[in-house]
Amino acid sequence: MKKYIYIFKSELMTNLQYIFDIIVGFISYCIMIFIFFNLWKYIYSDPSELINGYSMGQMIWYVIVTEILWMSLGGRQLSKKICNDVRSGNIAYNINKPYNYVGYILFSHMGLFLLKFILLTILGVVLGLIFLGSFPNISILSIVLVLISCLFATIINILLITTIALISFYIEDANPFYWLYSKVILILGTIFPIEFFPVFLQPIFKYSPIYVVSYGPAKLFVDFNWNSCIEIFILQGAYLILSILLSNFIYKKGVRKLNVNGG
Amino acid sequence: MAVITVKDLSKNFKVKVKEKGLKGSIKSIIKPKYNIIKAVKNISFSIEKGEMVAFIGPNGAGKSTSIKMMTGILFPDKGEIDVLGLNPEKDRRKLAYSIGCVFGQKEQLWTHLTPYDNFKFFGAIYDIPEKQVEKKIDEFRELFELDEFINTPVRNLSLGQRIRCEIVASLIHEPKVLFLDEPTIGLDPVVKEKIRTLIKRMNKEYKTTVILTSHDVSDIEKLCKRVIIVNKGQIVLDDTMENLKYHYLNKKIIDAKMKEKVNLEDKDGITILKDKDYNLKLEVDLKKTSISEAINLLNTDNIIDINISNVPLEQIISSIYKDGDK
Repeated sequence: MKKYIYIFKSELMTNLQYIFDIIVGFISYCIMIFIFFNLWKYIYSDPSELINGYSMGQMIWYVIVTEILWMSLGGRQLSKKICNDVRSGNIAYNINKPYNYVGYILFSHMGLFLLKFILLTILGVVLGLIFLGSFPNISILSIVLVLISCLFATIINILLITTIALISFYIEDANPFYWLYSKVILILGTIFPIEFFPVFLQPIFKYSPIYVVSYGPAKLFVDFNWNSCIEIFILQGAYLILSILLSNFIYKKGVRKLNVNGG
Repeated sequence: MAVITVKDLSKNFKVKVKEKGLKGSIKSIIKPKYNIIKAVKNISFSIEKGEMVAFIGPNGAGKSTSIKMMTGILFPDKGEIDVLGLNPEKDRRKLAYSIGCVFGQKEQLWTHLTPYDNFKFFGAIYDIPEKQVEKKIDEFRELFELDEFINTPVRNLSLGQRIRCEIVASLIHEPKVLFLDEPTIGLDPVVKEKIRTLIKRMNKEYKTTVILTSHDVSDIEKLCKRVIIVNKGQIVLDDTMENLKYHYLNKKIIDAKMKEKVNLEDKDGITILKDKDYNLKLEVDLKKTSISEAINLLNTDNIIDINISNVPLEQIISSIYKDGDK
């Protein structure tokens, strides 16, 4: 485990050198939250009104949390990196090291995620307080559980994106698959909670990755209750095991098909 | 004791073929065609502990593919590999603890971190206790003269400094076998010489077995006692450097400066390479004639200066490459 902590630490140290570039990238987060704030303010003619069980405040905080998760994930960057590594054969220089490649990807990407997550969380809370003037009624313990749930959500997301990107071993470019995955997560779990979709679709969403990587942690933050909390952690646990098995399986099978350019 | 044994090793690559133009691109989507490239064909050899072996060949000969199979990066289609008693295909991670790799054309270091942080990182991934890593860094600091730049981010280092750090990073876990893939590519002659001295010293001090690939003949000549030449996926020569240099072509070069102009013509075993003014350059094939016969032709009284040398190694190697192409 020590080596994976070092991988995480090294990536974190690398990204700390680019902290100002990362902060500049947060402008789009501010714009996004501003747009959603105005959009929901327009839709909710009366702030005390409930739409699909959400008050305006809950709706804005929901988007703040899902957008923090989405923007700190850097999924496109991750998918692109793995696809390029596989296609160019650069993955070879990671294979000859005494670590698990999927573990390496997970911990190195966490080094980027954590830094962005901390900064975006601070920014998100500040923006939420500016726009709404209040914080959701949530205990410290619940906040800790939400943060743990966010961590699991990201780990699962990274592993699922890694699995998708590793399809590059079999086809020329797996980026379109990532594009599809990202748009599903973005539309069905990030921008709108799943209660906003037709009732017959909701059970499907509930057992899909959308629930564990995006909707779950945000819903817990805006409307914490122990039943949902237990349910989310059980589903996240199941998805975590599944994504670890799946990513390692596809890697182990795929690596045998590796062609390295120039030898 | 053999540290590497390779038996009947083969590897094919499936490469997509696309016909030219837009039509070809569409066709390749509907009905893709593939070519099978036989990168390595039934090669066998073994390498003893502490040996420094040059593993060379022209571009596309299959040397890097062979090395990647020995390190467990690529999987062979056929044949057996034994590296330090392990099968790279099955025990890749276990083997990684005992081997080191330096790819001159590929950065393995974290470019935004300092060499010191990189060495600590490599120490950690090879599960070496922190104190031992510190000790190793101190040792290499002196041997590889790193003091000047050990705390400078790798991205700001010169190529020579970076290669030195790459070698140190690959040695931090004291590998028993070191694979050096073109370690001196792009370096100036002074730095090249320094790197060669360091590799030699490392081999002497730690008894590390070194497998070197390089297109720079001086690297091979100065470092290795044995050479394996690969061409078109096959071993075309596996011999000592001494045999290669002195016996492979059995040719010598005579450079002579004459008092008077001599009119010579090619003779069986003697080829005139240059005849300009009073300077002559002859190639003597010792299988057909002797040096004394060639000198007699020149008339010893007429010679001001003479130099007899071996055919340059570069010429010998390219002649072997060409033979392999026929």
